[in-house]
Amino acid sequence: MRPATALFRVAVAGQSMEPTFRDGDWLLVRRLRRPPRAGELVVAADPREPERLLVKRVRSVAPDGVTIQGDHADPAESTDSRQFGPIPRSAIVGRPVLRYAPLDRIGRVR
Amino acid sequence: MDLRSIIAPRLVAHAHCDIPCGIYDPTAATIAAQTVAKMVEKITGSTGGDDASRNTYIRSVAVKEEHAQICKKELLILWTDYFKPEHLEKYPKLHDTFWKAAKLCSKNKQSVDAKAAADLQAAVKEIADIFWATKK
Repeated sequence: MRPATALFRVAVAGQSMEPTFRDGDWLLVRRLRRPPRAGELVVAADPREPERLLVKRVRSVAPDGVTIQGDHADPAESTDSRQFGPIPRSAIVGRPVLRYAPLDRIGRVR
Repeated sequence: MDLRSIIAPRLVAHAHCDIPCGIYDPTAATIAAQTVAKMVEKITGSTGGDDASRNTYIRSVAVKEEHAQICKKELLILWTDYFKPEHLEKYPKLHDTFWKAAKLCSKNKQSVDAKAAADLQAAVKEIADIFWATKK
C-alpha cells in the first residue's frame, strides 16, 4: 500500500500505540522520503502483508533494516519487529504529523 | 455528504497484536499435567488380570502418553509465541524452566513415575505463575 499523495489520512486501529495513539484516532501522515530516524513515529507496510499498513515507532535503524515497535507498555499488546524482525527501509511509507480527530485531542504528534 | 465522511480517512493503520490478547492461557498445560499424574496413579494402582482391568490399564497408558504430549505442545506455544525478550529480562530462568518442563513431558511418556508426574505439575505451575505475573 503506497498512497499517491504527499499527505494522506489514516485511522488508527488497535491499542499497540497507546498512550500515543488510541484506537480510532485520525491522523495526517506525511510521506517520508529521507531515511527514518530512531524514536520517530512511522506508518509502514506490514512485511507479512504489504497491502496492510502498520503504525509504530522506530526503535533503531541499521543496515539490515528498521526495527519498529509499539508504544504499549505490555509487549503482548503489539505485534512488531519483536516478532517479524527488522523491516526494509522501503517498507516505510510516511510519518504521522497531526492527529485531527477526536477534537479534544487534536494536535501535533511525536 | 456530511463533513465527517469527507474528512474520514480511507486508510487504516494497524496498531495491533495479531492474536486477540487473552488467547494464551497456561490452563490447558495445567490440566494435561494433572491428567498425566492421575493416569500414573491409575496404572500403578491397577491389579486385576481380567479383561476389564487390562482394558483400563492400557487406556490409562494411552491417555498418559497423549496428555504428556498435549502438555508439551501447550508449553511450547507459550514459550515460543507468548513470551518475549522483555519477559526473559525479568525472568532470566525462563528458558531453563521451559526446557526442563518439556523434558519432563518426555520423561512422563517414557515412564510410569509418580515423582516425574509431580515434578511436571510443579514445573507447569511455575510457568503458570510467571504467566499470570506478566499479565498483572
